[in-house]
Amino acid sequence: MPPRLNLFTARAAVFRPASSNQSVSRRSITSLLNANRSSAASSSANGPKSSLPQTRYSSSDSKGKGDAAKVPEEPLPHVSEEAAEVANIMNKKCDGSAPASPELEQGTPISEILKRDTDAQKYAPKVLKDQGKGPSGSRSFSTSTRRTQADLQRDQQMEPSAAMVASMISQVNQQAAELNPGLKFPAPESLPRTENFRTRYDTLLDQFTKQLMRDGKLATAQRNMSLILDHLRTTSPPQVHAKRRLLGNPSTPQLPMNPVLYLTLIVDSVAPVIKLRQQKGIAGGGASVPVPFALNERQRRRQAIRWIIDASDKRRDSSLAQRVANELVAVAEGRSGVWERREHTHKMGVAGRANVGLTARK
Amino acid sequence: MVSSFCWSCLTRLPTPRPLLSAPATIPRAASAAASFHTSTARAFPMPTKKSKSQDSGPKYRQAKSARMKKKKPTDKPRPPPIGERRALRKRIVLSNPNALEVEGMQDIDADTMVDSHLHGNVLGLPVTMLDQLRAVQAFKPKQGWSIFRRPGTVVRRETLEMGRLFDRISGDGADKGKVVKKIVTGPKGSGKTVHMLQAMAMAFTKKWVVFSVPDAQELTLAHTGYAPLSDEQPNLYVQKDSTAALLSRTAIANQAVLKDLRVSQNHPALKMPIKEGTTLEDLTKIGIRDPALAWPVFQALWTELSATSPAAGFEKNFKPRPPMLVTVDGLAHWMKNSNYLNMESKPIHAHDLVFVRHFLSLLKSGSQNPTLPNGGLLLYATSASNCPSLPTFEVALKQLEARQAGVNPASAEFPQPKAYSNPDPRVLDIANVSKPASAKEGPVELQTLGGLSREEARGFLEYFARSGLLRERISDEMVSEKWTLAGNGVIGELEKLGKRLRVAAQ
Repeated sequence: MPPRLNLFTARAAVFRPASSNQSVSRRSITSLLNANRSSAASSSANGPKSSLPQTRYSSSDSKGKGDAAKVPEEPLPHVSEEAAEVANIMNKKCDGSAPASPELEQGTPISEILKRDTDAQKYAPKVLKDQGKGPSGSRSFSTSTRRTQADLQRDQQMEPSAAMVASMISQVNQQAAELNPGLKFPAPESLPRTENFRTRYDTLLDQFTKQLMRDGKLATAQRNMSLILDHLRTTSPPQVHAKRRLLGNPSTPQLPMNPVLYLTLIVDSVAPVIKLRQQKGIAGGGASVPVPFALNERQRRRQAIRWIIDASDKRRDSSLAQRVANELVAVAEGRSGVWERREHTHKMGVAGRANVGLTARK
Repeated sequence: MVSSFCWSCLTRLPTPRPLLSAPATIPRAASAAASFHTSTARAFPMPTKKSKSQDSGPKYRQAKSARMKKKKPTDKPRPPPIGERRALRKRIVLSNPNALEVEGMQDIDADTMVDSHLHGNVLGLPVTMLDQLRAVQAFKPKQGWSIFRRPGTVVRRETLEMGRLFDRISGDGADKGKVVKKIVTGPKGSGKTVHMLQAMAMAFTKKWVVFSVPDAQELTLAHTGYAPLSDEQPNLYVQKDSTAALLSRTAIANQAVLKDLRVSQNHPALKMPIKEGTTLEDLTKIGIRDPALAWPVFQALWTELSATSPAAGFEKNFKPRPPMLVTVDGLAHWMKNSNYLNMESKPIHAHDLVFVRHFLSLLKSGSQNPTLPNGGLLLYATSASNCPSLPTFEVALKQLEARQAGVNPASAEFPQPKAYSNPDPRVLDIANVSKPASAKEGPVELQTLGGLSREEARGFLEYFARSGLLRERISDEMVSEKWTLAGNGVIGELEKLGKRLRVAAQ
């Protein structure tokens, strides 16, 4: 098993001293106890149940020597620590600042309260009092759950100085964390979506290119797309139409130098929010009524791109790329008929608003 | 009659014999069931309903056949006017007003072209020179000049070397008036054409005369007129329109130089009196105006520019002639049969076109004088994207390379054409360089352009970033990544990568 990395953040470290001054861990306590009692327990002969672990211990002694070179595992943490750790992993965001559940974040371990509050110590349940004192019972059988053979062997190896080894491990873990574990170079803060070669193009750019495609000729469509982007890059910034502004009201002089953003704004600005569906059987009498329904982002863009390409077909420029590019600029300047189509769709949608929610009669 | 044998096993089926055999002859009419009423039904048949379709039969003089609906022709937009598409295709845009002005960018001039501190930087082309460069068609449509504020080229190692070469040939040192001949090769996108553009810019800076053939293919494509040169030489062909175009390019681009030089030689071949004191610009214009005279005028101009001293009677206005730069792009198209046909309808070899022959003869060493007596530079570039398959030419280039590396032509390592491959002896002759008689003349060299170095690539990408096109931090890692992606710094690929706008994660 590889050495555990120290996953605790500063917040989680609050729990540490509480468990470390109690003992190294539950498991190590029991194993230590068992080791001390090994000769006595075997002689007392309490029964086959209890004698089994001890015989295992003694028989595996010779085998365990082979594993001596292995780095021993850090003792298991306290239950609440474990929960904190799990919560930490589950709820963690990229920046590591995500909150865990409040009881884990703001709660104080009872052992700490007991330590500073004498009243509470007095009235504490017996279980907690016993826990504070540490194990004192003289049970002759082990209450720890049986673990795998390998773990038992390892436990035996680390018995003599479990605490010392644990501290060594934490030290090594700390060093490993400092040295970017497993990475030769510092890890990137975040890998952009466009770094993956399958999604190397911008979402909208990809969608627009695919809709430009005719007869499955993607390379031609891509060439046209690059011509369109070059056109957007080189034409003068759009004259803003008073009523038909681009989404977000960007500063127009800077738009041409970011043609992808320019294109995105143009498409998103004329994208309709709804679509009308002619539905039969609502009004009765076989008449179909228009029912508006909402579109998601991709569907909206698809409709807008469709309109833009349709409108560009009526232009007189010689090449497709030129036609589409000119149409895009016309949209940006509010001259295009695409705006009217969008307004019409929205008007019809408002008119058909009453039909939303009606169900077909059967 | 059904056979009584079973079809599959040929055993006789047990057919029940009819106990009473039917009478052999029964009249046919009697066997059919007789209808109960015969006469009345036949005499008065039920009136059938008239079907509508039969009712509307063909009227008088109407076609009976089914009418096919004619498709209405959808009104297609008219095709664009003639020449518009070509103009759009050939359009060269050199400026993008949206792009940022790169601050502190220097221009190519006599100082900067030899300054090794500028290695890896981008030098702008002087605005006043752009018309000259356009005239010699130094810019090509597919090059990405249109996205920058103003055109600029990166100073690579070869550029600096060339700048020093220009400086030496123009200067007063030992290399003054030297002739250097180079065939420029390299992979696709490695900057061969831009290398020639830089050479032209340097030549204009140094006041050289520039002759440029921007596309060698145009001369062998059979797109321009051709005619036998003369009755004496029926196997040589002249292309007068192409020659006039060359003269026109030369006159516009080198106007400043040509208008100061005056005629200093006799030109009997011109068959027209040339006034004394005519400038070379005016001489060139004769050929531009009358393409029939273009070839003799070109020869006269060439004689004038390669004159070292005036002929008798012309001493008055003689000025020493400047060095010359000759550039040819797409050399491989001159190494095969052209698309022209001779009288016997056999293809004419490109070497039989006088225009081509003239420029190829410059690669050969002169007998005693250098080919360019006033010095100069020949830059003939191959093209990797528009290149016919010419095994002989490839071998010739390999031979040139081997010669340059010092391989003995008699040795076994010297590249030879494949056996039975029927090599073109005229093409192989290109590589057959003899030692030049004149010390001022160098043999033909092969210059192979490769990728940029990382420092040069960095300077190039910084130019993109400072123009506002590349929105990324230019770090060593980023440059290294792009350099690798560009096939070890092939500049054409680097340009594509620099142009590609990468949007942050979404």
